Amino acid sequence: MKFIDRHSADATDTWLLQPDSEIAGPAPRRLLTLVQWQAVRTAWPTTVPVGVLLPNTADVEALADDLPRIALIALEFPKWVDGRAYSQAHVLRARLHFAGEIRATGEVLVDMMPLLQRTGFDAVVLREGERQASAERALGFFPEYYQGDVLQPLPRFARQAA
Amino acid sequence: MYQYTGFDRQFVRARAAQFRDQLERNLAGELSDDEFRPLRLQNGWYIQRHAPMLRVAIPYGELASRQLRQLARMARELDRGFLHFTTRQNAQFNWIPLEKSADAMDLLADVDMHGIQTSGNCIRNITSDVMAGIAPDEIIDPRPYCEILRQWSTLQPEFAFLPRKFKIAVSGAVEDRAAIAWHDIGLQLVKNEAGEIGFKVLVGGGMGRTPVIGTVATEFLPWNQILVYIEAVVRVYNRFGRRDNAYKARIKILVKAEGQRFFDQVDAEFAKILGGDVGGGAHIVPQAEFDRVAACFTRPDKIHPAIGGFDPHRTGAAPVAFLRWLDRNVHAHQVAGYRAVTLSLKRPGLPPGDVTAEQMEAAATMSDRYSLGELRVSHDQNLLLPWVREADLRAVWHAAQEAGFATPNIGLLTDMIACPGGDLCALANARSLPIAAAITEQFDDLDALLDLGDIDLHISGCMNSCGHHHTGHIGILGIDKDGAEWYQVSVGGSDGSTLSGAAVPAKVIGPSFAAEEVPGVVQALIETYRAQRAANERFVDTARRIGIAPFRQATDLVRRETAVAA
Repeated sequence: MKFIDRHSADATDTWLLQPDSEIAGPAPRRLLTLVQWQAVRTAWPTTVPVGVLLPNTADVEALADDLPRIALIALEFPKWVDGRAYSQAHVLRARLHFAGEIRATGEVLVDMMPLLQRTGFDAVVLREGERQASAERALGFFPEYYQGDVLQPLPRFARQAA
Repeated sequence: MYQYTGFDRQFVRARAAQFRDQLERNLAGELSDDEFRPLRLQNGWYIQRHAPMLRVAIPYGELASRQLRQLARMARELDRGFLHFTTRQNAQFNWIPLEKSADAMDLLADVDMHGIQTSGNCIRNITSDVMAGIAPDEIIDPRPYCEILRQWSTLQPEFAFLPRKFKIAVSGAVEDRAAIAWHDIGLQLVKNEAGEIGFKVLVGGGMGRTPVIGTVATEFLPWNQILVYIEAVVRVYNRFGRRDNAYKARIKILVKAEGQRFFDQVDAEFAKILGGDVGGGAHIVPQAEFDRVAACFTRPDKIHPAIGGFDPHRTGAAPVAFLRWLDRNVHAHQVAGYRAVTLSLKRPGLPPGDVTAEQMEAAATMSDRYSLGELRVSHDQNLLLPWVREADLRAVWHAAQEAGFATPNIGLLTDMIACPGGDLCALANARSLPIAAAITEQFDDLDALLDLGDIDLHISGCMNSCGHHHTGHIGILGIDKDGAEWYQVSVGGSDGSTLSGAAVPAKVIGPSFAAEEVPGVVQALIETYRAQRAANERFVDTARRIGIAPFRQATDLVRRETAVAA
């Protein structure tokens, strides 16, 4: 899991949202909203990887054709107890085979870590005030689970049989 | 019973350790109360009116005597000596301080127990038929399927924060003793013409503010596809279920709003999972896995069918009290020579579903002596001994009398369902327990109760419907009006059992009543039934035949405080 700290001085992550006026032309490491992306997608060259921020109401399957051009998908947790983005991430990985980064943004708390990791997120922007050490510890309680997930697609009974 | 493997044990230990970490961060101020709340809920911890409440999972109602003994110990050492059994076959403590909550989880883990997903907006504890594996009318034993569902739903990462709670019930018998039509997903095990096993699947049932009966999603789903089908249903719900209004967030509202479109979405999702999702097909349950789990539920070796029948008068004329108990609290069994015995938790002096630590120990001892150490929790808040030899019935009756479990009232008016209500629960609008106590006291004449026959009386302290008021032949619902406790009364509901008829919500008879009026209202309902019933007609049938008008008329005469309002 990659932890992206926007607040530290040595922040290296440069994927940032752009105001509409700034996205006239394609440029690397641009994070676009879904609306912005839809406005420019036909003109966007396949050689310039793009990041797209999806609201948790978006149908990720509608984005299937664009995925080869997308390097990063940021999913949103407007409230941490709103679990829609877990399904989006799962479908992106298990169905659409999206291999780019899936980043959790919004109200992202320490105790969501195992759920995020298992549904296919590989990067998080923790909400301000959350401790990365606690988040890392939260990933360590369970060595194994019953059902399959994005990291381990086989349920335990299938792993046992193999 | 299901036997925990090393993995299951380690898993529950890991959950207890995770909870302890969360509790410690909360107590240290790192994890705010608001953010701790959903986490503790998914481990069964509520903060109630007076203290935290711990809801302990009893998967599909199966409980071992050693587990009950541990609950008794916890009641003594951490609580005030009581435990409450719920309509979802779980158990609740009411007085354990939050600081001790992680210790409580360790004590539960010692006996393969936990509070995982007993609350929160996730897939809750699976419920089933209290007579699973022993019912004479059983088609297929539902317990292996329940256990497979339990394992799959446990810490399922995608569905931990759904729009609202999600309840699944499974039945494998002709008679529905699990009220499956009232669940988010109701599963009925069936055999098709080829003799293959599958599920009839109902989706979108639920109680609460808007009572809805589940809709049949499919008449026959091959049993081994059940995990995939539920994944499809829950994913569609997670995506489209309403999150703007908690009262409209259950799947029943989505199913009602979308109708056929909902089921089309589920079918499409199901096809996609099996059509190529990574890991999708891997969740089709192999026969070998089913066999592994089912091996825990084979009939115990010690059970030997007996022939010759049972004669309660074998050693002379049996006491009338024993015969009554046999009639009401003892049930037919799959195995010749055996019976199932209900230990009634409905008696004067204790709230419905409550037991003391002493009674828990007595029930555990009875279970060890007469029922191979196994017990069941019923959704109508009683305990049941599943493996009682007919030859032991007299001894079991004596033991039940001694422990206060022998009230021969199963199925009668005083075998009522009631939630803990406003005395304990922070959600409740009104108290349930004084109402339950007043009715118990009022109907203390057993002959009169027997004459009234089968009546389901269900009391909920609020719209959350933990007391299943919608399914009562008589339903009582506590409501809050301007800070005062009022009670809405309804008649003619059904949980879906043969006796009660197809599942249907009870109909409200009129404006609500004041607390003091309620016992009189119940009396008036009963008098109306008595006056109007045809020969051998049960209350619920009379109620459906004559409609609510006569009940309204009779109960309006009881109004004092609410006379003007009426």
